[in-house]
Amino acid sequence: MKMKKLTAVLMTAAMAASMMAGCGSTAPEAPAAQAPAKTETSAAEEAPATEEAPATEEAPAGPVEITVTTTFAGEDSNAQNYKNAVAAWEAETGNTVSDTSATSDETFKTRIITDFETGSEPDVLFFFNGADANDFVNAGKVVSIDDIRAEFPEFASNMNDDLIAASPADGVKYAVPVNGYWEAMFVNTTVLDAAGVSMPGADYTWDQFLEDCQKIKDAGYAPIAAALGNIPHYWWEFAIFNQQTPDNHLNIPGAADDAVGSQWVAGLEDIKTLYEKGYFPDNTLSATDDETFAMFTDGKAAFLLDGSWKVGGIVGSCQSDPEDPSTLDADKLAGFDVTYFPGKGNRKTTDMIGGLSMGYYITTKAWEDPDKKAAAVSFVEYMTSDEVVPLFAQHTASALKNAPAVDESQFNALQVKAMSMMSGVTSLTGAVQDLFNGDCRVSTFDGMPEIVTGSVSAADAVQEGIDVYKDTLE
Amino acid sequence: MSNIYKNKKYVLLFLAPAFLFLIIYLYYPFIVNIYGSFRQIKNLGNFGNKWNEPFYDNYIKLVTDPVVFTSLKNTFLMIIATIVGQVGIALLLSLLVDNIERGTQFFRTVYFFPIVISATALGLLFNLIFLYDKGMLNQFLELFGKEALTDWKGEKLALFTMMLPVVWQYVGFYFVILETGLNNISQELYESAAIDGATRFQRVIYISIPLLRNVICTCLTLGVTGALKVFDLPWTMFPKGMPLKETFLTGTYMYYQTMEAKNVDYGATLAVLIVVLGVLLSRVTRLVFKESEDF
Repeated sequence: MKMKKLTAVLMTAAMAASMMAGCGSTAPEAPAAQAPAKTETSAAEEAPATEEAPATEEAPAGPVEITVTTTFAGEDSNAQNYKNAVAAWEAETGNTVSDTSATSDETFKTRIITDFETGSEPDVLFFFNGADANDFVNAGKVVSIDDIRAEFPEFASNMNDDLIAASPADGVKYAVPVNGYWEAMFVNTTVLDAAGVSMPGADYTWDQFLEDCQKIKDAGYAPIAAALGNIPHYWWEFAIFNQQTPDNHLNIPGAADDAVGSQWVAGLEDIKTLYEKGYFPDNTLSATDDETFAMFTDGKAAFLLDGSWKVGGIVGSCQSDPEDPSTLDADKLAGFDVTYFPGKGNRKTTDMIGGLSMGYYITTKAWEDPDKKAAAVSFVEYMTSDEVVPLFAQHTASALKNAPAVDESQFNALQVKAMSMMSGVTSLTGAVQDLFNGDCRVSTFDGMPEIVTGSVSAADAVQEGIDVYKDTLE
Repeated sequence: MSNIYKNKKYVLLFLAPAFLFLIIYLYYPFIVNIYGSFRQIKNLGNFGNKWNEPFYDNYIKLVTDPVVFTSLKNTFLMIIATIVGQVGIALLLSLLVDNIERGTQFFRTVYFFPIVISATALGLLFNLIFLYDKGMLNQFLELFGKEALTDWKGEKLALFTMMLPVVWQYVGFYFVILETGLNNISQELYESAAIDGATRFQRVIYISIPLLRNVICTCLTLGVTGALKVFDLPWTMFPKGMPLKETFLTGTYMYYQTMEAKNVDYGATLAVLIVVLGVLLSRVTRLVFKESEDF
């Protein structure tokens, strides 16, 4: 009898214990506001210890697995380069990477922020260096480049420090960049030819653009491939940039009716005008970005405003096997070009949006783990080495001190055209949306369909975003 | 030996783990969620650093937010679609299949099959079917001479396009339940009715449906409560309530506010609404579709 009682108690205890195991062992992290400020003091304390214990001595005896999250996934031009580089690093060091990379979008950003909040952050993270990273930077959950250099003096020493962006949260540099980006207007020249429109150049104006759009529409094509209900980001950025100059583009308005706010409102009104004229696809409010991109590559739309990462996607669409470059249809690719966004007002056509907006972070969690510290540093050093960075940067910029000369013979036709366009750039300005982050953008990004259909005024939407922005500053 | 069953403390002991599980994973999060709905929270994983001003601000927003009204309206439409589309069609199909001599098992398998496919995969599949350019449906319409493309996911047709796959997916589930219920009806009743001269239609109306009442009630209860939880397929096909926030359901709107708009506290408020709605609807459903003991 006693045995049965004991069995019953043990079974119940086992059930309860197994259930409680799901609770995990990670205690909730302190809220950002209560967390200690950046690790500068701790770094200062750690530095002397380093001298006594060189980095090499801290390397663990056996192979280590580190968790890495990047945006090199999906249709990103560098997805395959990343896989290859990871495999090479694993082969070289014997360590392994548990990769949780995903396509960059708002859900991805939320996932990363949540991972940090719940203590589930990766060891190494490739992420935005703008305001999107403010939360985990403020919470002291990533290690600054200076702190890492205090212990690993050669860390990122091949980079030009002036080109490494500081965090807007505290002005400290955390993320080691790999490849830069630019945003420009891709053109399907086959559609232009069919509509009797010539290829835009460096002096292309907004008025000429409107005229060309009308010609293209009259010829039965969609002038602009854009999914305003899904990814209005690029149009948002350039429409606002067109009201400004590179000098004042990164200013955040204080109100919708102040000088900068009025420029933002005017920019959004320009997008509304394009929508009302019917220059976006008929289904622009219900389509996904993939759908409108397919319209562009299938020769049903003329212009596509996007980033340098889309070069790979366009080239892939010209290959019978997107994974195999040898299957490229060169004639089809010749029908694509890339040019500057049409200029308006004081913004020159050749003033572009671009820069080095992302980089590799090492998290405090990995840094404080003696088994992973050296492996995380080694991984970032490898991925940002003079040999690997050029593979990723290709036709974009990098922060390398000794960037190798670009061998154009290795490039496809669209990459060569991109290089040619970049040679004529008069300025490269960062995206203001990287400073006006997250929830501030909701009213004008997710609210773009309401703005262009007139159910919400551009001024109200801008003001709503500014109110949220001010709220985040408190 | 029998002592262990008489002693109630063992019953409590065995009930404890499940009770504990519910407290940890259901009631505690729910209470925390209510607390969170009064705070200002931008990111998941914390409670923010201040209260809303006034603290019930989100609840004021809840009753004035037009998208909440849209999502409630769509959720109720989804419930109607479930009752009419899922249970209704399943009842019709089960009655038809019940009246055939052979092939019952074949139809069971065919109709049930969509259930085993993940809703996300189905969402992607239906995205291709309803695709604007080169979608299956629009290609068919082109074959029949229609020149202009139909935007199945546009403002006019979005709700229909969203609900059709949801209805289609679950018809088989209710079909199997109803078919099983029909099999439990004694054949003698049908035979005696046939001898009395009842037609097949009369046998269905006067024997099958009345005797299926309890099964139908169970299906309707499952359908109504299930409609409140529909999430993955609509979100895959209509992310962010596209177009113009017209396709939000209560669940998808809560997810949007929490994960996309980073308005976690408002998402928590919507979660409270969903729970209240769920409790109320399940009570109403139980009252309306009360099972009869006569059958």
